[in-house]
Amino acid sequence: MTVPSGPASAEVPAVRCRSLGVSFGTVQALHDISLDLAAGRIHALVGQNGAGKTTLAKVLGGLQAPDNGTVCIAGNQIPPGDVRAAKSAGLAMVHQHFSLPPSFTVAEALELTAARPESHSVYRRTELYRRWQNEVAEVGGTNVLATRIRDLPVETRQSLEIVRALVSEARILLLDEPTALLTPAATDTLFERLRGLRDDGVTILIVLHKLREVAAVADTVSVLRDGKLVLGPSEISGVSQGQLSDAIVGPAPDTDRAIAVEAATDVEQQLLLELVRVSSRESAFEPGLASIDLTVEAREIVGIAGVEGNGQRSLVSVIAGLSAVTEGSVLLGGEEVTRAPPARRRLRGLRLVPFDRNSEGISRSAPLWLNQSALRLIGRRRQFPLISLRQYKRQASEAMDLWRVRYNTVAQPAESLSGGNVQRLVLSRELASGLEVLVAAQPTRGLDFSATNFVRSSLRGLRDAGAGVLLVSSDLDELFELSDRLLVMYGGSIVARFNAPYDRQAVGDAMTGALR
Amino acid sequence: MTGGLQRVASTVLLVVVSFMLTALILWVSGYRVGTVLSGIIQGSITATGAATSTIRWTIPLLLIGLGVVIGFRAGFFNIGGQGQFYVGACSALVVSLGWREGPVPLVIMCGMIAAILAGMAWSLLPGYLRVQFGTDEVLTTLMMSFIGALVLQYLTAGPLRNPSGTGQTAASERIPEAFRITDSSGVSVTALLLVGGVAVLVWLLLERTRFGLTMTLVGRNPTMARWQGIDVRRVGLGTFALSGALSGLAGAVELHGPGARLVTGFSPEVGFTAVVVALVGMLSVWGTVVAAVFFGGLQSAILFLPIVTDLPPPALVLLHGMVAFLVTIKFRAVRRRRAGLAAKPVAG
Ligand SMILES: Nc1ncnc2c1ncn2[C@@H]1O[C@H](COP(=O)(O)OP(=O)(O)OP(=O)(O)O)[C@@H](O)[C@H]1O
Ligand SMILES: [Mg+2]
Repeated sequence: MTVPSGPASAEVPAVRCRSLGVSFGTVQALHDISLDLAAGRIHALVGQNGAGKTTLAKVLGGLQAPDNGTVCIAGNQIPPGDVRAAKSAGLAMVHQHFSLPPSFTVAEALELTAARPESHSVYRRTELYRRWQNEVAEVGGTNVLATRIRDLPVETRQSLEIVRALVSEARILLLDEPTALLTPAATDTLFERLRGLRDDGVTILIVLHKLREVAAVADTVSVLRDGKLVLGPSEISGVSQGQLSDAIVGPAPDTDRAIAVEAATDVEQQLLLELVRVSSRESAFEPGLASIDLTVEAREIVGIAGVEGNGQRSLVSVIAGLSAVTEGSVLLGGEEVTRAPPARRRLRGLRLVPFDRNSEGISRSAPLWLNQSALRLIGRRRQFPLISLRQYKRQASEAMDLWRVRYNTVAQPAESLSGGNVQRLVLSRELASGLEVLVAAQPTRGLDFSATNFVRSSLRGLRDAGAGVLLVSSDLDELFELSDRLLVMYGGSIVARFNAPYDRQAVGDAMTGALR
Repeated sequence: MTGGLQRVASTVLLVVVSFMLTALILWVSGYRVGTVLSGIIQGSITATGAATSTIRWTIPLLLIGLGVVIGFRAGFFNIGGQGQFYVGACSALVVSLGWREGPVPLVIMCGMIAAILAGMAWSLLPGYLRVQFGTDEVLTTLMMSFIGALVLQYLTAGPLRNPSGTGQTAASERIPEAFRITDSSGVSVTALLLVGGVAVLVWLLLERTRFGLTMTLVGRNPTMARWQGIDVRRVGLGTFALSGALSGLAGAVELHGPGARLVTGFSPEVGFTAVVVALVGMLSVWGTVVAAVFFGGLQSAILFLPIVTDLPPPALVLLHGMVAFLVTIKFRAVRRRRAGLAAKPVAG
């Protein structure tokens, strides 16, 4: 141990923890973690889904009391699980799950969490708006201030969470997968801002999945595997990508078995999904569809590229049957379903991976097995009314095991899963037998890289088995790698169509509307 | 599971605390708490006929309480059980009086079906408003409950009034003795089998059918349910219908059982006590059975107490209120902790 000499503050790590342990039932989420984070640097934290990253961040932020071990922030020991103490020691957090109060407007929420307590306790609305205008301008325009948090699209919510942490004037920032919902451009902006903060002496711990991003922003990197700290914090320059991924995956790497899904396509039908001049009404944050023509045939993956908020959400919900079509028609497997309810489409083999897995994909408080079995509940009116729960639970656990969801019991609520495992749960339900057409919105969002590869090879497997896939993604690399054809959406219409090999420049231009 | 045990323990604790608070208030107001407590035990268990009376009150509380449980499963708060109970009883009465010569089992059955339909109708209107426009069902079911009480008042004072009646309050004619499934004690094997059967059916519906699981998903996250192809409106309407049906049935059981005729404002508290029953029963079927017996005992004690103390009956209603108050606080706290989605309107 070094004896502090001279200006002591330079020597004291911003965050120091000693032998932290946390367990949930039989799951040991953190195991004997000791870690020093030097002040004024950007520290990356990586690891597979369920490795314990979120748990560690929560313990450091005082949101989760450890079973044993201690946490010191800027040299002061924090009582276990004391959020206030952590906050007043200058720590702020950006959560993987959103934490802003859903029924507050954006301005109210920001005011509530702001660092400087204003002297008066009564606010005038105009004053509030004026105060927060600049902060949110880059997030979604100033008109976003009066919107309730729950009505915002997930991406905007994520950006707001980041804004909130940045305005809190914290000296230590913990960011849990902040880039999962951001576009590459927004990610660059965020990283730029983080570097600026670091140069001002702020200490940052950031949870990331993409090693590319780690290399881009971090000064040091630490790796968690199965709740243990297996690497670091090490200087980023001293670790190769290979070493890093070995540390993440461990000595017995997953053999990448793609999931064998039999698609239920009959060979006759070629055209699985067809949209003919479909228009729909705009929603609060998205243009409606403007006369879209689109087909997905058997044995192909059609990619949808576009900057978030250009109608992708409208497209997915029109296909799902959740927003009304004002003009045109939607056909599934040759059958007109323009006005058909969602159940009808599900029964025709439509499977969906929605944008917002936590509110649209799962029911957070419902048990895992019920979340997993949801599709078994529709359209079986002629069957014997009583069901065997044991069978439902068994089938659910088999499907989840296939997707390597990390869970304790099938009865635990879905909210107790780690972020990436929630996505796996959704995939285990949707990418199962009966699938003819899959509409997948950001299917690899929040997944670690082996799971990402797993999903990508599964999508290919689905296509080879005869299914059609519509892949909506903001990750161009993913789209280029998987798509047989690529369509670009801008302002609610499809402005360009590409065939492989793709020209990144041309696709990028189309996405920004340069082709119009 | 320790979590479940904890929930039971905290609910029991709430009930005990309510007892103590009520005792405190009684003590401060100068009543002898010991006498009151022993009076409650006598009035619900030990006095002659007390146990029977406890069961007699358990029956309507359980039926209406199960209706509340069903509503909650899909995220709806049907607190209009009282009105649905009244219109159920009125419909059963009309059947019995209109078809005096009918074969006994058939008349009783038709009376019950009529009561179920009436209860459904009374709850489907608020249900429709809720799923279609997102109107808060707490308000509308309550309003419908008042209307139900007025319907009863109108019928007993008007068209169905027994002209030879001598009582102070308006009442209808009695139904023929043959049409009753219990004597005036309100307890018989038939009635118990009926109510027990309903409880088992409700449990099967909620825990072992696809519709029950669908209701759970809708109640916890309607957005997710919609993405899964569940018809959230249909589930909502079905839930309201079933919930009202049980309260309506409770009305028929009351009429064909202990009541035998309708009196203006009879059993004035069952509908609201049943909501407390469901909450104390932690919205589970078997929990509600236990809670219904408990509150059945209290109801019986309320009627008995004036015999042994000078305590006015409303003093024990205070206890109900106290339990309701604390349980609601606990319930809200639990709900607050869950993501707020379940509390949002289905429509929109
Ligand atoms: N409240 C809880 N109840 C039960 N188990 C939990 C709870 N919270 C976390 N876990 C478990 O602890 C482990 C670590 O979870 P954690 O959220 O820290 O993972 P993570 O590294 O953040 O993963 P991801 O990349 O998927 O977000 C997981 O196996 C998870 O299932
Ligand atoms: Mg996490």
